[in-house]
Amino acid sequence: MMELDLFREYGPALLRGLGVTIFCWIVGTACAMALGFLLALVQRGVSARPVQWILRAYVEFIRGTPFLVQLFVLYYGAPMLGLRLDAMPAGLLGLTIYGSPYFAEIFRAGLNAVPLGQIEAARAMGFAPATILRRIMIPVMLVSALPALVNFSIILTKETVILSMITVPEIMFETQTMMAETFAFAESTLVLALFFWVFVETISRIGRRLERRATHYLLDRS
Amino acid sequence: MFSFQTIIDNLPVLAASARYTLLISGAGCLLGLIFGALICVAAVSRAPAARAFAGLYVSFFRGVPLLIQLLLAFYLLPLVGVNVPALAAAIFTVGLCAAAYISEILRGALNAIPRGQAEAAIAVGLSPRHIWTRILLPQALKISMPALVNELILLVKASSLVTVVGIVEITRMSQAIASATYRPLEIYLTAAFLYLAINLVIAALGRNLERRLAW
Amino acid sequence: MTLAPSLTGTVNPASARLENVCKFYGEFQALKDISLVIPPGKVTCLIGPSGSGKSTLLRCINFLEEYDRGGIWIDDRLIGYESVGGRRMGGRALREMRRDIGMVFQQFNLWPHMTALQNVAEGLERVKGIPRARAHEIAAEALAKVGLGDKTGNHPSRLSGGQQQRVAIARAVAMQPRIMLFDEPTSALDPELVGEVLGVMKQLAAEGMTMVVVTHEMGFAAHVADRVVFMERGELVAQGSPAEIFQNPGDRRLAAFLQGYLERNSLEL
Repeated sequence: MMELDLFREYGPALLRGLGVTIFCWIVGTACAMALGFLLALVQRGVSARPVQWILRAYVEFIRGTPFLVQLFVLYYGAPMLGLRLDAMPAGLLGLTIYGSPYFAEIFRAGLNAVPLGQIEAARAMGFAPATILRRIMIPVMLVSALPALVNFSIILTKETVILSMITVPEIMFETQTMMAETFAFAESTLVLALFFWVFVETISRIGRRLERRATHYLLDRS
Repeated sequence: MFSFQTIIDNLPVLAASARYTLLISGAGCLLGLIFGALICVAAVSRAPAARAFAGLYVSFFRGVPLLIQLLLAFYLLPLVGVNVPALAAAIFTVGLCAAAYISEILRGALNAIPRGQAEAAIAVGLSPRHIWTRILLPQALKISMPALVNELILLVKASSLVTVVGIVEITRMSQAIASATYRPLEIYLTAAFLYLAINLVIAALGRNLERRLAW
Repeated sequence: MTLAPSLTGTVNPASARLENVCKFYGEFQALKDISLVIPPGKVTCLIGPSGSGKSTLLRCINFLEEYDRGGIWIDDRLIGYESVGGRRMGGRALREMRRDIGMVFQQFNLWPHMTALQNVAEGLERVKGIPRARAHEIAAEALAKVGLGDKTGNHPSRLSGGQQQRVAIARAVAMQPRIMLFDEPTSALDPELVGEVLGVMKQLAAEGMTMVVVTHEMGFAAHVADRVVFMERGELVAQGSPAEIFQNPGDRRLAAFLQGYLERNSLEL
């Protein structure tokens, strides 16, 4: 009875929260990946010392500080610099920045793992550098980088709950709102924990299946 | 205007709160190492029940965000009659969570130890307990040292989440100061650099330790 | 290299008896009904092509490899099972039997986090319960006897392959085993380091240790072994004295194996 009432009252908000969680995860991950790839290309392609230093400092700073503090700087601190963001854009920007150095490292390792001979073969055939990148290096790199990409994307699902701390109305935030009004602290938290457990397990499995499918052709030889 | 004076004024208080950050991450890492070693032994044991337990444990603590785990401990423990201070509950939770990751790190390291290492120990007649404590775990620890140092750095950052259960470590303290001084940018950046400094020191110590462990 | 007069002190060599030993890996039968007597105080060499099952057989003798049928007795005690075809032996009883069986591996398997001395002392302390100071004394003596008295403080990574294998032999001998198993002890060594290891093994043989040696060193088998056993595809094909095996190989497969060995080695020269 009571549970039903609770659900009728808070269900829509929770569902909306779930939607926001998934939205933030997908958009944030995609943007972080894009920025990470860009960073990896710059790191590989631009040898100017100052650029490398700035890049290095950026990576060290982001990897050395908590995501929560980064969000606080962005959401509460940035307005002083004239950058006034709502919670959601701040959260997405935060996810992008936070994830980018990790993705950059994955892409860098993947690009380095492309055998030089394959690049030379393309060069010998007269491919332009951009074509080599697009047609040879990226596809080959993706295969070896895929497990790490999937893995870190899954880690990011869990980081999305931290967005609740800057009032992004994702599922954790909505649950806490509900808890504050109903005092069902333990039950709600437990349900939320179980939900995440199932959610993360499910996407891990999907991720592993995708990996296998994407690298299937590599295994068929022997 | 960016106010350096605010930073200078508040740095001592903020830095002092770092002891809770260090306590939670350090003690959490130590607990995680102990529990993690046990979970790892269970994960590679012959008993199906032990393996299943280890699998569930790792899946749960890696699947549920730490923020939720902390709240769970905070709300659930009193309900089942466990009344411990928030700090102890936080350290315990961080330790349990770290154990899941550390057990996987150790398991990977165990796989990297040649089979002959244990076989030689069996042939000499060492008991299973001694094979673990004298032969396998010391080597696993060495192989996994870089990953363990990395885990400690992750824990330093993760310890910022214990603000939700009210422990005044760096992040919580910076929130308090930021709202009192209306200088969030300076204060949060200071907090960020404090974390960065701690982690750079840990990374340097870790590299030093690795060099010394080279056999 | 000068060796001390005695590696082992006094040996009370054990015998071993194998009866109808079978070993399966799933469908594949790695050992087919092997019966063999290992006489006490003698050197028995197992030879044969790779994949013939000789290492598997050797590893069954201390039950590192669990055989599936038949029985292996050390002196008159069955190893691995309570009775033939019966339950697995308890861990404690198995460890007690293994104390009498020393083993030396192809890859040395020294523990990399311990010095040479600690490698040798570990079993003395933890298995025999000898106090650390005394264990270190015994270990130092054992190392001196294999010509490594000056290397006791070295970690394995600071030793040559031949030195590592001599430490491994010292580790096994220090436990005062009554039978020693050698699993291709020189196969991982550079050719110029083979001699120092074979030298130590010869001395052990001369002191009356029961030795079972899987080897590709036909010279060692011909000159040191008392019995030579030829295996192929999991079967025991021929056995006899070195003279019988090497000078008059009656069996067609044995003759082909020896012919191949001679050709390979003359090519190398």
